[in-house]
Amino acid sequence: MSTETITRTETEGEREPPAPRACASLIELAGVEKVYRMGKVDYRALRGVDLVIDAGEMVAVVGPSGSGKTTILNLITGIDRPTSGTVVVDGQRLDEMSEEQLAVWRGGNVGIVFQFFQLLPTLSALENAVLPLDFARRGRKRERFERARHNLELVGLGDKLDHLPAELSGGEQQRVAIARSLAADPKLIVGDEPTGNLDTVTAAEMFELLERLNREGKTILFVTHDRQLAARAQRVVEIRDGVVVAS
Amino acid sequence: MVSALMRKSVTDLSRRRSRTFFAVGTLALAVASIGIFAMPTLIDRSMQAEVAAGKLPDLTVFTSPLVLDRAHLAALGAVPNVRAVEPRSFFEGRVYIGSRRAPAYVEGVPDFASQQADVVHVASGAAPGRGEVLTDLQNANQGLLDVGAGETVRVIAADNSLQRLRVSGEGRNLNGGQDVTSDNVVVLYATPETVAALSGVPGYESLAFRLADARPAAVASTLAAVRRELVGTPGFTGFTWLPEVRAPGDWPGKEDVQKFSDFFYVITVLALLSAFVLIANTLTTLVAEQTSEIGMMKAVGGRRRQITGVYVRTALLLGALGTVVGIGLGIALSNVFVRYLGSTFFAIDVAFGVDARVLAVSVLVGLLGPILAALPAIRRAVRVPLREALEATGSAVGSQDAGDRLLRRVRFLPRTAQIGLRNVGRRRRRSFATALMVALAVGNLLAVLGLAAAVTDVTHANWRDHGEDLKLTTESERPLDAGGLQLVRSTPGVAEVEPMFDAEITLAGEEGYVWAVRQATMFRYHIADGRWFTPAEEQARARVAVVERSIARATDTKVGDTIRIETPVGPVALRVIGIASNLQENGTVLFVPRATMREVLHGTPTRADDYWIRTTSDDHGLIDRTTTSLEDRLTAAGYEVGTEITYVGEADNVASNRTITTSIAVLGLLIVAISMVGLANAMTMSVIERTREVGILRTIGARSRDVRRIFAVESLVLGLAGWLLGIPLGYLLDHVLVWLMKEVVNVDVPFTFPLGNVAVALVGTIVLALLVTLLPIRRAVRFRPGEALRYA
Repeated sequence: MSTETITRTETEGEREPPAPRACASLIELAGVEKVYRMGKVDYRALRGVDLVIDAGEMVAVVGPSGSGKTTILNLITGIDRPTSGTVVVDGQRLDEMSEEQLAVWRGGNVGIVFQFFQLLPTLSALENAVLPLDFARRGRKRERFERARHNLELVGLGDKLDHLPAELSGGEQQRVAIARSLAADPKLIVGDEPTGNLDTVTAAEMFELLERLNREGKTILFVTHDRQLAARAQRVVEIRDGVVVAS
Repeated sequence: MVSALMRKSVTDLSRRRSRTFFAVGTLALAVASIGIFAMPTLIDRSMQAEVAAGKLPDLTVFTSPLVLDRAHLAALGAVPNVRAVEPRSFFEGRVYIGSRRAPAYVEGVPDFASQQADVVHVASGAAPGRGEVLTDLQNANQGLLDVGAGETVRVIAADNSLQRLRVSGEGRNLNGGQDVTSDNVVVLYATPETVAALSGVPGYESLAFRLADARPAAVASTLAAVRRELVGTPGFTGFTWLPEVRAPGDWPGKEDVQKFSDFFYVITVLALLSAFVLIANTLTTLVAEQTSEIGMMKAVGGRRRQITGVYVRTALLLGALGTVVGIGLGIALSNVFVRYLGSTFFAIDVAFGVDARVLAVSVLVGLLGPILAALPAIRRAVRVPLREALEATGSAVGSQDAGDRLLRRVRFLPRTAQIGLRNVGRRRRRSFATALMVALAVGNLLAVLGLAAAVTDVTHANWRDHGEDLKLTTESERPLDAGGLQLVRSTPGVAEVEPMFDAEITLAGEEGYVWAVRQATMFRYHIADGRWFTPAEEQARARVAVVERSIARATDTKVGDTIRIETPVGPVALRVIGIASNLQENGTVLFVPRATMREVLHGTPTRADDYWIRTTSDDHGLIDRTTTSLEDRLTAAGYEVGTEITYVGEADNVASNRTITTSIAVLGLLIVAISMVGLANAMTMSVIERTREVGILRTIGARSRDVRRIFAVESLVLGLAGWLLGIPLGYLLDHVLVWLMKEVVNVDVPFTFPLGNVAVALVGTIVLALLVTLLPIRRAVRFRPGEALRYA
């Protein structure tokens, strides 16, 4: 696990966000703040975060509940926008993109794996796995299905292509979710507690799959409460109270 | 301090504003439609006020013209039980409307400023002086005669001279206005001197009495006393017509308004039904998606009755909100309808009013309806086992049942369309209820369009069957002789003359008519079965008849049967040689050779011939001029004739039918509106439920148009399912409406179900299904994925 010194925010609102680096890095967050309005109260989820992740790394993001782990993931995937600061992924300024542009970018550049799988219940495993390609309108239908089939075989579900999510176990559903995240062959795969809803054996199998994908060149970024799992990553970024305290 | 459970009942509504808004809106529409039942009461209330203000008589007697002085009138006023007496004179003649003549009454009012009964109100301008008339407001309202103060009306006096009378203003009288509406006759009011100048005969021909006691026994004895008082008055030889007795509470046109209202009630019930299906749907969904919350409440000690109470209170709150809005809307709706009826049929301004009984029913329905609608769902939800309830996700999962497998087979559509299609199967009950609502709208639309088409078609068809441009009617005392006929034939504009006559008969207890016509008649008959009579049969005066289909069906008469009709001379046997599909006189006409009927009725006092006349062109101006010429020439030669112009009769008929069909269409649209609210409601809930799912779709690359397409397809599928279900429903409803037209409004129309309307309904359903989803989908795509994923 490599270490890297991360510049911390010294005084709120006074720093100029650093200019994005030329791209040896895949992900760059500079001076990122995120404030959520909850009724009459403002909640500062991130307080001036700077973070750089290189291509091909496997990074775990850890921290207590409410520390801002998921917020960082959401900003990196364009699911949320920063209140201030810049977010650059693979040379693209996500904070400057519209929602439509972000949706299209995500479909072609990022694979996301959620804790609760989030498969569409009325689509089969194969149909769930091919969905991003359908949205991106990439290739012909036959080619898309071939790719989805290949990804499902990669995750060990070649024999359950026509099964609905309700007919699959938790582990199998998560594999489908991983297969879906690979649909557009993205450089980056992001997981928010990807093994959080699985038993230890299945969780271990899932993590091995992610490790294999990392060995094949994919950048993996995942949030986890599990310290043992985090320890298997190349690098651990620790967040507390919206600030990166260690990396 | 409010309990947590009470607070939950409130926040369940305040947190889901869109759904609450829709549910309240729908309930309000349902409660508002109950307001329609207030119509008869409101209009009756206004009419009773009019009866009082207009001093409508309880008893009216008719005599030959009597010259009555003040002493006579005072003596009549002193008859026991008489509170007031008002004498009137009449002239029945014709007025010119453009170059056409139309029938008219001119009523003589002794003193406009001090009328004792049957008041003619001066609505605008001034009371008429000598040589002036007041035109009834309904003359213009009904499109008969539109003249204002200062203009001139040309009236043909009894001596055939043309009198130009200045219009002093517009007047309003209940009985006069009703005459305009029901008899299509122009009604004018004048002084008795003006009427005498027109008729050539001075004196009063009617006496209108207001009585202290209007019960039948009292009226009868008052009538006898009036008769005794009039005996000895110069010119009195008895009453010339049956006296008119107005039952307490009755007013002119009341029966027609009641029939109109009865028809409305049927449509209102359909609207209520639609609305309650929608409310049940809404509340069922509201409760069903709270299954996990119900589980949580049970887990922390909530008992079934307590949990039931939470949702009953929610339903009650919804009901209260909907009732308040609905009552306001219902009062407005009923008053709008009643004002329309009042101004159209009675030329009165109906005062704003509220029917307390209908209000009470509205409150009861509005409060209890949602509770009753929600109870089955609440019962189901509280009985779900605890573990299952806590694990409920709120959004149904896919399954392998036949329906879902069928939907999954549809692979040729784009993926987004497939998702939308399969979403329909996820909430079966709600999808079915939504489709049912659309089906009610489609069915109702098809039925209403079918009925309107039938009414319009039959009206035009009936009139198109008439080959004559005008009909000349003669008085039986002096029928047209050869000289008269020659006058008719030689009148410029006359192309063809056909003598015919009609008589009332009964066949197997059914009332009908015989039209005695030529074999080569200008009437356009349509033979459905059998044939028309031949020249040989006409020559031989054969006892044959062609029977219209309606009366044939009613009496089970077929070609070849020998029927016996009851005529003024007794029963007559006729052989049925044909069935005609025409619908004259509601389809109750038997066509018989004219020579045959003359022979049958020989030796008895019979009607003289009427004459169907075809003019040299169908130009309305020429028809009017020819009619005027005929009247002038024949009257000058001493013949008493009347005329009926076909195109005028057709226009009147179409106009009156249009009122019926427009009213039906307006209420039909109410049902369509309710159903579209239902569809919008279902789509809004669908979008709200799938907010997180939309977020997921956006995270894996779905664009706004992909999301829009998913929900648009879902809405379209629900709409199309409703359209399919609506076709047989519409077919049934059309039959019901046609039956109602016959039974309630006494208009016989054939059943028609144009397939073109099915296509119109399809286009309408597609357009509306897409329109109602615009707002909910906009909401769905506006959410950022982060917000959507956090949505709970």
